[in-house]
Amino acid sequence: MPQDVVINFKDVTVEYDGKIVLDKINFSLENGEFKYLIGDTGTGKSSFLKLIYRDVLPSAGQVKVGNYNVSDITERQVPLLRRSLGIVFQDFQLLPDRTVYDNVAFALEVTGKKRKYIRQRALECLSMVGLVHKQQNMPGDLSGGEQQRVVIARALANEPRIMLADEPTGNLDPNASRNIMDLLWKINNRGMAILMVTHNYDLVRKYPAETIKITDGKLSKIDPLKLKTI
Amino acid sequence: MSVSYVLKEGFAGFRRARLSAFSSVFAIMLAVMLLAILARVGYNAYNLAQSIRQDVEVEVFLHDISEDRTASLRNSIESHTIVTNLQYISKEDAMERFRAEFGPGSEVLGSVNFLPASFKINVDTDAPVPEIVAFVEEVSGYVGVDEVKFNRMGLELLEERLNMFLLWGGLLGFLIAITAMSLVFNTIRLTIYAKRNLIKAMKLVGATNGFIKRPFMVEGVLHGLVAAMLALGLVWLIFHFLIPLYLPQVGIIAWPFGRWYFLTGAMIVFAIIMGFLGSRWAAQKFIRRASAGG
Repeated sequence: MPQDVVINFKDVTVEYDGKIVLDKINFSLENGEFKYLIGDTGTGKSSFLKLIYRDVLPSAGQVKVGNYNVSDITERQVPLLRRSLGIVFQDFQLLPDRTVYDNVAFALEVTGKKRKYIRQRALECLSMVGLVHKQQNMPGDLSGGEQQRVVIARALANEPRIMLADEPTGNLDPNASRNIMDLLWKINNRGMAILMVTHNYDLVRKYPAETIKITDGKLSKIDPLKLKTI
Repeated sequence: MSVSYVLKEGFAGFRRARLSAFSSVFAIMLAVMLLAILARVGYNAYNLAQSIRQDVEVEVFLHDISEDRTASLRNSIESHTIVTNLQYISKEDAMERFRAEFGPGSEVLGSVNFLPASFKINVDTDAPVPEIVAFVEEVSGYVGVDEVKFNRMGLELLEERLNMFLLWGGLLGFLIAITAMSLVFNTIRLTIYAKRNLIKAMKLVGATNGFIKRPFMVEGVLHGLVAAMLALGLVWLIFHFLIPLYLPQVGIIAWPFGRWYFLTGAMIVFAIIMGFLGSRWAAQKFIRRASAGG
């Protein structure tokens, strides 16, 4: 895998109960690149992301993420792989019983970093997403857009080279969606590779980048500007 | 992972999920309390039975035999391991006792000494009745022995009741322990099941299974500790207040081994072990199963 490639799929197949979801696909994401992954519901977009953070293993082929050969790593290495990724979900997956600050700090606590560093870095990340003033709020007190910004702050905490975003604007209103996209764009401009799964073709057209579509388990590159709103 | 983090999270878990913490504490408390009551009553019942057995004497009445024969009989009887104490009562001693018991009325007998010499034997309180019976039968056959008396029926009845009590008590204790364990484990399992999304989110950011599990175990130990304190309070209330109030003839049932700290210590240790094992088992199961993704 070339030095600047951070994710590489080689002839990857995923099967569930004999049904092929992804069929011998090849894919790569380079350092600092932004790519969209689109496709109808149930076409395997989430499985695609799960392959990257090792929640699903390929039936065949090879998945490489940074220095990890995902198909071969042990259970003990899975947390290390995940710490090298920033993951953003549509349903946020925040820890509902902890404050905004604690949610961001948690991503650092798991790495065993020093308390002083954790405090400094968590506040730095919250400041990047403009939420330092809400650090003592509980996630439930925030709007959807704000909660997603907390998730992005948490994803940034360990300074990963790759961010995976699974429909990050799926639960947000248009204004909040634009704010999130601006934020992701800014993060990408700083050099982080981003792979974003989305159904929002308006956003893809507004923030154009290389777009890959999954159809019948195969990947195809399409022109983002020619996407039609559903 | 820092110890302070684990402790902080363990304590915070208690605060964050009050209802589930309450359920788990209540289940452990109930189990520990029932077992403690059973242990305290059981111990006292056993002790009572033992003290009754201690009073059971085997009396061996002798013919008019020589001192040598008496000494030889004494040796033969004492050689049985079942014998814990043997006292020789001569004809004169027997008469003395008779006079002391019957007072001036006994003077009518004048100087006639019709009472036989005897041995008063205490036997091992743990010896089963058939062993005592076999001993009695053997002694009855010795030359010079006239008659051997002991309260066989009373002893058999006592042993039968004690065995019954120990059997049913043990069975009840076992059932309580099993029921309590499954109650505690399931309560903790539900508590952790309610946190499955939390566990998923933790796995997502790269937390190891151990990192996720340890605060749950600290929380389990805390549940056990709190439950033990509550159970201790209730046990004290029952034995020192309720029983003396409603069953004054029973009085205060003593602590096992005469000291409060044996049962108290056992209760605390048992409660902590239940909390620890319950949370460890449940956490392990869910953490392994939980998928990180949505």
